[in-house]
Amino acid sequence: MSGRRTGQVLLMLAGLIAWAVQFTVIYGVTSTLCGREWADVTLLGVGIVHAVVALATLAALIVAALSFLGSWRIHGGLGETAAAPDRFISQAGILISGLSLVVILWQGIPAFILPACA
Amino acid sequence: MNAPERSEAFDERDPALPNPLPRPAGEFEALKKAWEAPRGLSFITAVNNTYVGLWYVGTAFLFFILAGILSLIMRVQLATPESDFVGHDLYNQLFTMHGTVMMFLFAVPAVEAASVYLLPNMQAARDLPFPRLSAYAFWAYFVGGLVFFCTIFFGLAPNGGWFMYPPLTGAKYSPADNADWWLLGIGFIEISAIAGAIEIIVGVMKTRAVGMSLDKMPVYSWAMLVFAAMIVIGFPAIILGTLLLEMERAFDWPFFIAERGGDPLLWQHLFWFFGHPEVYIIFLPATGMVSMIVPAMAQTPLVGYRLVVLALVATGFLSFGLWVHHMFATGLPKMSLSFFSAASTAVAVPSGIQVFAWIATIASGRMKLTTPSLFIIGFLFIFTLGGLTGVMVAMAPFDWQAHDSYFVVAHLHYVLIGGMVFPLFAAFYYWVPVASKYALSERVGRWVFGLMFVGVNVTFLPMHITGLIGMPRRVYTYPVGMGWDALNLVSTIGSFMIAAGVALFIVDFARRFRIARDENAGNVWNASTLEWLPNANYNTRSIPIVASRDPLWDQPKLSQDVQDGRYYLPGTATGGRETLVTSPFDARPQYILQVPGPGWQPLLAALFTAAFFLLLTVKMVLLSATCGVLAVFCVIWWLWETDPGPVRPPADIGGGIAVPVYATGSMNHSWWAMIVLMVVTGMVFTCLIFSYLFLWLVNPAAWPPQGTLLPEGFSPFVSCTLYVVGAALIAYASRTLRGEDRRSPRAVPVLIAAALLCVGGAAAMDLWAHWRTGLSPSAHAYGAAVYAIVSLQIFFVLTTLIMGLYTIARWLAGRLDSVRRTTFDNMMLFWFYTTGQGLVALAVVYGFPRLTGGV
Repeated sequence: MSGRRTGQVLLMLAGLIAWAVQFTVIYGVTSTLCGREWADVTLLGVGIVHAVVALATLAALIVAALSFLGSWRIHGGLGETAAAPDRFISQAGILISGLSLVVILWQGIPAFILPACA
Repeated sequence: MNAPERSEAFDERDPALPNPLPRPAGEFEALKKAWEAPRGLSFITAVNNTYVGLWYVGTAFLFFILAGILSLIMRVQLATPESDFVGHDLYNQLFTMHGTVMMFLFAVPAVEAASVYLLPNMQAARDLPFPRLSAYAFWAYFVGGLVFFCTIFFGLAPNGGWFMYPPLTGAKYSPADNADWWLLGIGFIEISAIAGAIEIIVGVMKTRAVGMSLDKMPVYSWAMLVFAAMIVIGFPAIILGTLLLEMERAFDWPFFIAERGGDPLLWQHLFWFFGHPEVYIIFLPATGMVSMIVPAMAQTPLVGYRLVVLALVATGFLSFGLWVHHMFATGLPKMSLSFFSAASTAVAVPSGIQVFAWIATIASGRMKLTTPSLFIIGFLFIFTLGGLTGVMVAMAPFDWQAHDSYFVVAHLHYVLIGGMVFPLFAAFYYWVPVASKYALSERVGRWVFGLMFVGVNVTFLPMHITGLIGMPRRVYTYPVGMGWDALNLVSTIGSFMIAAGVALFIVDFARRFRIARDENAGNVWNASTLEWLPNANYNTRSIPIVASRDPLWDQPKLSQDVQDGRYYLPGTATGGRETLVTSPFDARPQYILQVPGPGWQPLLAALFTAAFFLLLTVKMVLLSATCGVLAVFCVIWWLWETDPGPVRPPADIGGGIAVPVYATGSMNHSWWAMIVLMVVTGMVFTCLIFSYLFLWLVNPAAWPPQGTLLPEGFSPFVSCTLYVVGAALIAYASRTLRGEDRRSPRAVPVLIAAALLCVGGAAAMDLWAHWRTGLSPSAHAYGAAVYAIVSLQIFFVLTTLIMGLYTIARWLAGRLDSVRRTTFDNMMLFWFYTTGQGLVALAVVYGFPRLTGGV
């Protein structure tokens, strides 16, 4: 598989990969901080657990948004003669990163409602 | 896909077909001869997908019936209160075996088996890329599964529930062998599932019809690709879990024993990290089937192809973020639970997308109410109900009420029967004409559907109420007057209706199914995909060029031209079995894969592998070890015939295209398989590191426990250096082995041997360093975790050792040179993996306790 194709697949899946990283970070960090009773630390006045969830969510949203825009631009730039797989992958990239944006946001919501380690 | 796009794509191709008529005399005969099935007793050595696929599907269905009979016995027991039809101990075995057999011996193998049969047909490949691996996976499963099932007749069947939670299944509360049967029996059948998954990934990516680029792949191929990827990521967790629990039971390494620093919740994490994706692992292939059947029944292309692919991929990802919803009642922090609640509701979105795509397809065409259609409608109804109760139990507060009650039993049966069994029956009715001379009976099929559909609802709908009014799951009886009597009786009646439906299906099948060797029933549904081309043991006579997702509708003469041999590779280039390897994205011809034919090796290797695990269960260690060695020997014997090298110059496959008959590097199919295998092993290792960190988390102030000596920094430094030097020697050997002129330099075996000494020394040094400090694996979970990491690494080093020696043997036998070097390349990949894993293991085991300062 050529480097270009690998890049295309990564871009197509970037939104979902961002979700996977976000999920691992927020669950791992929450469990570790609460399990070790380190959750009282604050970062700029915000509890560390909430801060981490917010930052991870923001970072994942940025990645998914960039992937969305990237796929969109690539798709827009494809000429009439573009190969069908290129067209397909960029369209799939738009759809996947679009869905990922919603899922990532949804995934971060509990932090705005619940206390850290109750 | 819309019509203009289709015709545009079609017009792009050259109207002249690759191969002219008439075909040379003897070409077709040579092809037939190469693919001829072995006769007589050696019939069981057949390896190609048409045979192995059918045996595989048949065996999976046998387990469906067996596990179904177990459930009927349970339903008889529960039909009336205080019944003494079966005792509590047998009942425990019954529900454990019912769940275990349905999930591990029916559901996963059935969908994998169907794809072994269908995928090459659907993609116009002559076979899967590793037919002997399929045969091995099948036989290991067949023998292992049947022996495992027979334990129920001797009271030896596992009895701790299909998810086998410790401490109940630990040595203290389950001292007998019952639990070991589960751990060793199922653990090794998972290996067979992984073998199948590797085969499917490489098959989908590399062996498709020419022109079947990603955007033209059948949805079923997409579904199987996601399915296989999920197995590769998810199954290692359960393999590691069973390993850890078995080591705890056999050697008293306390991973799950709380008094000694272990934690039973670790098992639940490992089990459900596999167990929840498992649900989607069996559901996605079923949706893939539905996406093939619906367009054929409605006689119109699938609506929203891209959205369906999106849904499959998204489900594949999101389903790994749900596992803790099986653990809502374990007391984890609420925010953690909510992350899983969020993911659990989010995963309903892609499933919804697929349901709407099917409904839209049905609406845009004219759906014929055939038996497959009926099963699809039944699937939509039942699965959607199960999905709705799924969203209910995804809410932690609701789940706390419904947990471990019959509500959950109802939910999971609606999801699994709706989501997998009904599509599978639709698939039986739909695809039997490909494999058989006659289609199944439509008239009988309606009765089968009616009995099953009504039966499922009569059985499981009342269970929602039985659960909500308090009946816990897994009780072997209940007292009169709880209000559960009538509901249970209704459920029992329903279960026998399902059984009647299945029995009727078997009768119909026995009457109508006759394996088609040349003449199958044909394209009875006027379907659009390639499995409906005329086929035989070699699959299609020639390998077509595909210009759309519905080639049989858009290229009306395709069947005839394929059959006449006018497309690619209408004969055999090397005189043996072959399939055409195409590029993973655009499906352009790359090379001819020389496919291995029938042989005793995979069969014997599977038998000895099964014997190894099963004898270990009954503690016949010496005999078991002998079988293990024999299994490795058979695998080496099998491999010896592979990696044939360029046996002839590039061959003309038609249309002026000449492709090589051998390829190395990243184009090679086994290179891909090796990469996937490394993902599997990487996941096993990741799960082990997760377990280590988890145990650290639950052991504040005891990591390592007081009084534990950490080895000095000298030994990891030496190990580390040896690993790196070993890998460098292999890299250097690879450089030496380059060139177009088929050299086999003498330095290669010497370098490999030196590298083997390095890697062996590194692992031995590591083990010795821990042993010297007096660290005990059974005193505390810390020691157990450290030795688990060291042991896993030693296992990999031993495997590397065997591979290295094997590569040296290939060199000595003149089967390895600078062109014919796939064996070396694969060994090198594995070597680098072992090196990387070894370095990370050293960093964790030596670095982590120092980093955290024993906190």
